[in-house]
Amino acid sequence: MAAMLAAIFYPVVRFLWPRATTSSGASEVAAPYTVAQLKADAEGKWPPPFNFDGKPCLLIRTPEGEIKAFNAICTHLDCTVEYRPERHDIFCNCHNGVYDLNGRNVSGPPPRPLEVYKVTLRGKPGQEEILVSRNA
Amino acid sequence: MSPETLDNTSDRGRPRSPLAAFFFERLGLDDLWALAAKKRVPIHGTTAFYFLGGMALFLFAIQVVTGTLLSLYYKPSPDQAFESVRAIMTEVDFGWLIRSIHTWSANLLIGILFLHVLTTYVMRAYRRPREFTWMTGVGLLVLFLAFGFSGYLLPWNQLAFFATRVGTGIVGVVPLVGRDLLLLARSGENVTGDTLARFYALHVVILPLATLAVLVVHLFLVQKHGISVPERAAKKCGGADRVPSMPFFPHFLLRDMVGWYVALGLLAALAALFPWELGEKAAPFGSAPEGIRPEWYFLFMFQSLKKLPAHVFGIPWLEGETVGGLFFGLCGLIVFLVPLLDLRAAQGRSRPILNVLAAIAVIGFVVMTAWGLLE
Repeated sequence: MAAMLAAIFYPVVRFLWPRATTSSGASEVAAPYTVAQLKADAEGKWPPPFNFDGKPCLLIRTPEGEIKAFNAICTHLDCTVEYRPERHDIFCNCHNGVYDLNGRNVSGPPPRPLEVYKVTLRGKPGQEEILVSRNA
Repeated sequence: MSPETLDNTSDRGRPRSPLAAFFFERLGLDDLWALAAKKRVPIHGTTAFYFLGGMALFLFAIQVVTGTLLSLYYKPSPDQAFESVRAIMTEVDFGWLIRSIHTWSANLLIGILFLHVLTTYVMRAYRRPREFTWMTGVGLLVLFLAFGFSGYLLPWNQLAFFATRVGTGIVGVVPLVGRDLLLLARSGENVTGDTLARFYALHVVILPLATLAVLVVHLFLVQKHGISVPERAAKKCGGADRVPSMPFFPHFLLRDMVGWYVALGLLAALAALFPWELGEKAAPFGSAPEGIRPEWYFLFMFQSLKKLPAHVFGIPWLEGETVGGLFFGLCGLIVFLVPLLDLRAAQGRSRPILNVLAAIAVIGFVVMTAWGLLE
């Protein structure tokens, strides 16, 4: 009886289980913006996060001019955070979670800091391409 | 069936034409007639509460009809879902009306169900032998909340996308199996086209079948045990069987139908005056936009999760969302088990602890919802 039930339900459960990930597994990606393009537009909107191996990657430029990259998934409940250059923080609109420019959770419900990625600049000064990679 | 047998059933109001007799005899409608004639509705100060169940049933029928119509044009894929809903609203004749009625009706239905559960609690209608009527009713409320949650994602707009990320994220806080449940709900790490397909199947196949199954049991139990008389009304009249009543069919049903007619008018007015917006198409890698919030019936949970600290009491392993998620799960379980927790019901004694908890729950729901709306 148990064997029969297992024979019936095991394939169903396996079928319901998510299929193998289709991510590229890339550990490095070139951002869709150059350093010169990394600024707020006329409406004050910062360039949105982009796809880094299936996860949103947020690029910011600190007031000191340093470029930083983070996994943009909020550590609270998986929303995607945004950079607020005028307030010098990273903010989650879903539950008002606030991170500082090092990705540390400073107020609101997020329990952990954002995952930090490594940034490498390549090319002529001012027009550098931005490469983002996982910290090994 | 012989004419003699026909005469043995309750004849009141039964059609007597030869044509009716023809169908009654062949389809065995006498049994149904007798069943309908048996059902009576008590008349007392809170008889109006009895309309809520029928109203919920009517709105569910509206959902089935409008949902079936929408499914003729809707395409459940990330590339086409948003565009197909936009086409329904802008290109299909009266598509805007059908979609708006579907959404408004869903919202009214959840509101009516909340009231139905609350008034059933107030009338203590879950007393023996109606424990399972209550439990199946709470089960139906959960199923309709799942309808709302799964349907919310289908237009594949920004609001829906992030509400689903958060909603399935809450599932992920369940200890031990949370991670697996999250993967099953999303069909992977992220909310993707696979999630949309899964939610679509849930919304149009699995939930309707489950709802029909539970609904049949619920309605059978209502029919089997009859409609509960509140203790106060029974005491006032010197016994539950002395409380005045009216036949369900056709007297109460006709009153029900007046309510349905008004509800239909209200739905049409709401859909015409406040057509449901579509918003912007989901951008899976973009930041969550301002003003992200779930439907009003999940707002109390959303607002509570927003206000809970990262670590409750500063304890590192006690994360706010875990505490919140488990707390709401426990609340749901308590509501489900109310008939078993009300140990004083059998003696007809009051239930002060449950009443205090119920009052806190209702006030908490209203305050957190209002806070969420105003913030």
